[in-house]
Amino acid sequence: MPVAAWVILWQLAAAVSQAPLASETVETPQPPASRVAQPPVPFDATRFDSLTATTLRGLFEDAAEMGLPVRPLVNRALEGSARRASSERILRVVREFAAALYEARQLLGPGSTEGELDAAATALRAGVDERTLGAIRDMRPAGTAVTALVVVTDLVQRGVPAPQAREALTAVGRSRPDDVLLGLQATVAKNASRGPGMAMDALQRYVRSNGTPGSSAGTPAPTPATPDRKPARPPGQ
Amino acid sequence: MSDEGIRSLPTDGELTVDPVLADALSRQLAASYATVPAATAAELAACTRAVLQAATRDRAVRGAFRRRWWWGGAAAAVLVLAVARPWHPRHVQQEAHAAMQEAMGAPATAPSVAPVGVVSEGPGGVVHFALRLPAGARAVSLVGDFNGWDAAATPMARTGASAEWSAQLPLTPGRHVYAFVIDGTRWLVDPMAPQVPDADLGPANAVIVEGAF
Repeated sequence: MPVAAWVILWQLAAAVSQAPLASETVETPQPPASRVAQPPVPFDATRFDSLTATTLRGLFEDAAEMGLPVRPLVNRALEGSARRASSERILRVVREFAAALYEARQLLGPGSTEGELDAAATALRAGVDERTLGAIRDMRPAGTAVTALVVVTDLVQRGVPAPQAREALTAVGRSRPDDVLLGLQATVAKNASRGPGMAMDALQRYVRSNGTPGSSAGTPAPTPATPDRKPARPPGQ
Repeated sequence: MSDEGIRSLPTDGELTVDPVLADALSRQLAASYATVPAATAAELAACTRAVLQAATRDRAVRGAFRRRWWWGGAAAAVLVLAVARPWHPRHVQQEAHAAMQEAMGAPATAPSVAPVGVVSEGPGGVVHFALRLPAGARAVSLVGDFNGWDAAATPMARTGASAEWSAQLPLTPGRHVYAFVIDGTRWLVDPMAPQVPDADLGPANAVIVEGAF
């Protein structure tokens, strides 16, 4: 047999062996958890090299076997690909996020929704502590904690210490609509850009006003809670 | 000059000034200048040319152009101009600045002037995304978990001639993570919207669509 024929045969064999990895759009395996309401996310394997795609698929299958939602993991992988992160970085993020999802499920309980687990895992990776997640679970029943988790993640991201964020949420958000929590987030976000200490000052003012600074009950503040001045400090400091 | 003045010069070579003679000479010189007519423009130009020609014939002046640091300075100026490229459009310079900031470790999503984003939910779960950019952008797209983080899936439309971009799309109830991509390269987040950071990938925003989730 001539050499050209061997080369063609070798290329055909290579193409057949790689075809399922390179061109297939695979439906992600679904966890046996019953409270997954979101539609499945197609895992576009063509956005990764074959080795990374195979490794990711293994991670998704492992997560599904553990009862973890796969959709957030697929989203992390696709986000990493869109941000042009390296394969090693994408795999590390997906692994760490799967571990965070597992920890979030332990903290929030088995009845938690996929959205809650996703938001709680993000909160854990942003620096929110376990006690805060437990307090949010106590404050909001299963399926209603997504907004609180998003808000506490944003507060910690803007420099509010996790204990203060937890106290603010439990003081303002207990038995109140999610709009009050979003008003807290908006107030802190507006004031956090004004300088160090302003986020905490705005948080304390919002809590003291019980989520209604200068407006009717249950509606967020239309204006920043703090004017342009230095943050208030207790006497003696 | 009178003979008396000449005779007043010392013979040993040391110059002494007779104040009376000096005063007389200065008065005569001033009187002679007063009678000289003003120079014309042509005469001034000819005088200038003569001075310049005399200066360039001077060896010291010509030597200044031969010094090596002149050539070093010129090369440095060419290098600075080639890097800075001040004749390029402003958005190209901003992209280069952002790339430099990113290379130096600063977050690429921290522009010099903060953008302003607005997210509002309409009927039927249709969410309207708007972004006002302080700097010019050629294309803005919306990426998120709702479109597989595909920058080509949801391009934003520029509204009018302003720097405001918008897009709206139906979303299922629940929490969605999104970000803006400027000119296909820069990732941007709304500084006022809830942020869901990931230290390994970068910041992103979150929007919560009401409903049973």
